[in-house]
Amino acid sequence: MATPKFQVGDKVRIKDRTTLFHTRTQKYIRKRVGTVVEHRPEWVIPEDEAWDRMETGRKEPFYVIRFKQTDLWPDYTGFAQDTLESEASESWLESVKG
Amino acid sequence: MGKQHGDHHDGHNTFEVSSKVSEFEILELAIRELAIEKGIFSADDHRKFAEWAEAKGPHGGSKLVAKAWSDPAFKQRLLENGVEACKEVGIDWLQPTGVGTPSDYTYFYVLENTPQVHNVLVCTLCSCYPRPVLGMSPDWYRTPSYRRRMVRRPREVLAEFGLHLPSDIEVRVHDSNQKSRFMVMPMRPEGTEGWSEEQLARIVTRDTMIGVALPRADRTSDAGSLAEQVR
Repeated sequence: MATPKFQVGDKVRIKDRTTLFHTRTQKYIRKRVGTVVEHRPEWVIPEDEAWDRMETGRKEPFYVIRFKQTDLWPDYTGFAQDTLESEASESWLESVKG
Repeated sequence: MGKQHGDHHDGHNTFEVSSKVSEFEILELAIRELAIEKGIFSADDHRKFAEWAEAKGPHGGSKLVAKAWSDPAFKQRLLENGVEACKEVGIDWLQPTGVGTPSDYTYFYVLENTPQVHNVLVCTLCSCYPRPVLGMSPDWYRTPSYRRRMVRRPREVLAEFGLHLPSDIEVRVHDSNQKSRFMVMPMRPEGTEGWSEEQLARIVTRDTMIGVALPRADRTSDAGSLAEQVR
């Protein structure tokens, strides 16, 4: 098991990588900054699982990332404290200083 | 009028759309037939599994919540390890295959509503849903309209379900976009003091565990309350 690179409380940005085939990292969270709130176990990443590479696929730690809705949607109509959580594998995340 | 002679579909687009077979349905059928021909399973096995899957309702989830409301130690176990705690009420996430189904298993987390936080579920990718505890997802849960609007305008969508949440509550949307499956544990409503687990389970409806409704002491099930209204 790889040691997770990010800790609970870390601020992370979701990368906007090219995805030719399957991914589970939704467009609406890409380039957005959120906070790691939980770790999830290591698992074959969806980009490989989609090809049924359960044995040979790349494994990565997964994270739950919490976003402020106002950071996701500039025209968000709810309240400032509203949030959204999504999960992503480690290679989709980059650290944000501060 | 005149031009519609002999064409019963005109003006009935809904029926026309629903009669179309999608590529995925054809693919499923083809794979199923091949599997039956190869003897991997029989047509009767398939029918039995479909019946088993479709017969599942949200009762398991209701039981979990009622037990958690009544037993703080169980609640703790449920929040810490959803898959293990489910076994205590007879739900095994690994069934029927021994490893679960790839789309349902593998991690189950119960999200506790508090006076500060209201949780609600969506799957923007397709229809991920905690089937072992809630059964098949409702049709609306799978619609693009719910999926794309719940992440973007959750308070409006909740209001359409009749749920108006105060401005000081944090609405927390959970996109089930990976391996985790979620269920909302609503707060126990007033007026239920001294109730048995069986009584409590009756007011924990499916929608309260998706997060689009709140349980009430006077609403024993969504279907039941509708029947009362009609009467």
